[in-house]
Amino acid sequence: MSWSPLVAFGVTLLVAPALPGVATRTRSFLTGRRGPPVLQLYYEIAKLLRKRAVYSATTTWVFRAGPIVGLAAAVLSACLLPLDGRGALAGFPGDFVLFAGLLALGRFGLILAALDTGSSFEGMGASREAMVGAFAEAGLFLSFTALVMATGQPALTGMLGAPLAAGWSASLPALVMIGVSLFVLLLAEASRVPVDDPATHLELTMIHEVAVLDQSGPDLALVLYGSALRFTLLAALTALVLAPRGALAAPAALVALPMGLLVIAAVVGVVEATMARLRLNRVPQLLVATSALAAFAMILVLARS
Amino acid sequence: MPQLFFAGLSVIVAGGLAALVPSRTPGRMERVFAALVAAGCVLVALAALRVLVGGDAWEVRVAASVPGGAWVFGIDALSAFFLVAIAGVGAAAAVYGATYLAAERSHGGVPFAHAAVAVLLVTLALVVTARAVVPFLLAWEVMAIANFLLVMFDHERADTRRSGIIYLVATHTATLTLIGMFAIWSASAHDLTFASLARAASTPAAGLGAVLVLALFGFGVKAGFVPLHFWLPGAHAAAPSHVSALMSGLVIKTGIYGLLRVIALAGGAPEWCGWTLLGLGVVSGVLGVVWALAQHDIKRLLAYHSVENIGIILIGMGVGALGTAYGLPAVAALGYAGAILHVLNHAVFKGLLFLGAGAVTRAAGTRRLDALGGLGRLMPMTWLAFLLGSVAIVGLPPLNGFVSEWMIVQALLGAGLGKGAIRAAVFGVAALGLIGGLALACFTKVNGVVFLGRARTAEAAAGREVGPGLFVPMLGLAAVCTLIGLLPAFVVRPALAAAEVVIGGDAGAHTVDPGTGAAWVGAAAAALIAFAAMGWVAYRVLMRDRSRVVAQTWGCAFSNPTPRMQYTATSFAAPVLEPFGAVAGLSVSHQGEEYRTHPRDPWLEGVILPAWRRLRAAVARAQELQLGRLHVSLLYVFATVVALLWYLASRQVP
Repeated sequence: MSWSPLVAFGVTLLVAPALPGVATRTRSFLTGRRGPPVLQLYYEIAKLLRKRAVYSATTTWVFRAGPIVGLAAAVLSACLLPLDGRGALAGFPGDFVLFAGLLALGRFGLILAALDTGSSFEGMGASREAMVGAFAEAGLFLSFTALVMATGQPALTGMLGAPLAAGWSASLPALVMIGVSLFVLLLAEASRVPVDDPATHLELTMIHEVAVLDQSGPDLALVLYGSALRFTLLAALTALVLAPRGALAAPAALVALPMGLLVIAAVVGVVEATMARLRLNRVPQLLVATSALAAFAMILVLARS
Repeated sequence: MPQLFFAGLSVIVAGGLAALVPSRTPGRMERVFAALVAAGCVLVALAALRVLVGGDAWEVRVAASVPGGAWVFGIDALSAFFLVAIAGVGAAAAVYGATYLAAERSHGGVPFAHAAVAVLLVTLALVVTARAVVPFLLAWEVMAIANFLLVMFDHERADTRRSGIIYLVATHTATLTLIGMFAIWSASAHDLTFASLARAASTPAAGLGAVLVLALFGFGVKAGFVPLHFWLPGAHAAAPSHVSALMSGLVIKTGIYGLLRVIALAGGAPEWCGWTLLGLGVVSGVLGVVWALAQHDIKRLLAYHSVENIGIILIGMGVGALGTAYGLPAVAALGYAGAILHVLNHAVFKGLLFLGAGAVTRAAGTRRLDALGGLGRLMPMTWLAFLLGSVAIVGLPPLNGFVSEWMIVQALLGAGLGKGAIRAAVFGVAALGLIGGLALACFTKVNGVVFLGRARTAEAAAGREVGPGLFVPMLGLAAVCTLIGLLPAFVVRPALAAAEVVIGGDAGAHTVDPGTGAAWVGAAAAALIAFAAMGWVAYRVLMRDRSRVVAQTWGCAFSNPTPRMQYTATSFAAPVLEPFGAVAGLSVSHQGEEYRTHPRDPWLEGVILPAWRRLRAAVARAQELQLGRLHVSLLYVFATVVALLWYLASRQVP
């Protein structure tokens, strides 16, 4: 517990905007297009931070507070994950409840900011965000609980760090199921195909994009960075479950962090290139199925010991 | 210190009497009432806090020689914890009520309503401190009746009368069941004090199974978990808002207190009882929040959230009971303590939310969500308090709801890491996740539709901030939510002490280290607030020299949006409710271009009321015996006496 969690934390915050870029680039490549540069989001955030913002006359302070709270919550939740594979900046028994709660708080802020505009489009986006969040939460809790049961560790540092790496091969089938369900939750949380399509151009079919329709300038920059960070954190979580780095030496584990994140982002791109997005009322079914997968993983773990 | 406690109760009673004194200056006696009740609550809270910070628990015999055994009252950690909630929320609601009902002085019932609130608070305090059956049941019954009178405040309205009658039937069924429960239990007891009942429970064959089933039913009706919740939404919605706050925050919690006290006296709940509590908790939690999402009336919506939160409390109690039954003291301590802490937390934030709903109703003249909108600008204080209450009830950091949820999750994890069948309890975590996600959807809906966007009706547009008499109590409760979130160790320890009373002995609490985890949760809450504040400051600095551009909401090239185009409560909830199908209890009607949904309680409308009607039809046939002629009635009396004599004569004298 020295410098390595701090470095990993910094690396994660730094590479976060590259992940959506990698996913989009992979998707473009596989569908025969060139696509925007991988670093496009960095440019966009830099540009937006220099601009003025346009506010709807209907909005209140909630509209501006939403993105800030969302980002603060995401940064704090990054402190809880053992990003370097062994230790986190902060951790305590049951801290995954805090992790999930912080993601939910970000969503709470985003939904209220959307409703603050009084726009029917953003109301639509807000309602859909709430729907996705409501059905994703059980799967997230179940995945974490299955990890606790597999490792006997009630804190994120334990269930994702060295104890997981030590018992990894023994509970491989369950961990793969947890990894898959976390990956689907990542697709839902980061608004990617098949739950949402970041490339769509019709507001009526959007989820996340339409909920932030009125954000502009630095506010939009915060929203973009916040959602990239949530994408990154869930990617880091998935990577930690599928390929725990607790047994690696500190430098190797640190180098493996961005590699793992980029691989997950590329897989997201592959999913986007090969799948159509689901009809909106199928999304809860997908998320319930994900929870069921996590529940089966838990049954496997419970049956084993 | 009994003196402090009873002095507090006397001051509250004096406050209630003061409200009845006629005065030429309108409002003077209302202020006296509010001041006295608040002062009495402070004294009661002090007496309770003394026990919670490590003072000795006490018992006093008030009336030593009366039929049915001595009247004993006492405060231990469990009573003290409930008393703190009662005193805190009670004071806030009474102060709020003094101003809130001032607008209805022409009604005439206002002084009596204030007096009834004082009676309600005193009986609540007596219910959680009674240590003998007779004073407990007396306090319980007076509490129910005071509550009924308060629900009937707007008795001119037909739906209020209907809700009131349903409540009265439900609460009396509960009381009857409790009398039966105590009768069975005390059959083998020396007298009717709780201490004797506890001794009787340890001797076998007291029919403890029957006792627990009756307690689950009797206390369950009061607590309002599914399927015994049928009276709750109607009664909560019909009562004046500060009474709704008292009911949801405190009165239904006496059901939880009763269950905990029975478990404590019975020396722990058996395994089946733990699983039953856990199952009921999961069902209540999920169905409560689903039904809440479907509501269009802000108070009915909050009432269904009480069903949900009682479910969360039951999940904690269930895993606590399982922890005792399977010999996992740490799990038992965490489960019970989480449940007990959630009782306090829910009392505070739900009290706050009902007071907020009352302020909204006063300002806009309606409880219909789809007639509101944009009130956040007009009522900044109410909105701030309501928003904090919403964050707390969803169980989000950094407020208090998160702390108890975190504790219950830890108990469930402990159960999962145990040995044997108890491990299956760990699936309760998924239920908590689902409940949290749905509650988030529900409270973003309420906040968005009521306080954000634009006013949907002229009444909502004319809404004005309520006076300090209403918003100060709300902000006070919001401050408590924040403080518990920031300094959870100060409530986690007392909650563990109260859990120790339920478990019996000091087996559990010492195996749990309350300090470290709670300190981390508090630190995380502080860090979150600090991060957000830093972000806000950085944002202000960044935007300092930039001019603000204010424009119309972007309507995707449609340039003339009207408030009617906004998403409504109905449309917001629709995609979340759709997967639940018929369980959600929504019926939909189309009329021309109009699309409406009508929430109905599938259990009340579909099962309870039809069953009630059938019962009444059956009983009506028995009514034919009652001819209303004197000589027939005398014949009945004669026949009864003969039958009784026959029965007594045929019994063998021991």
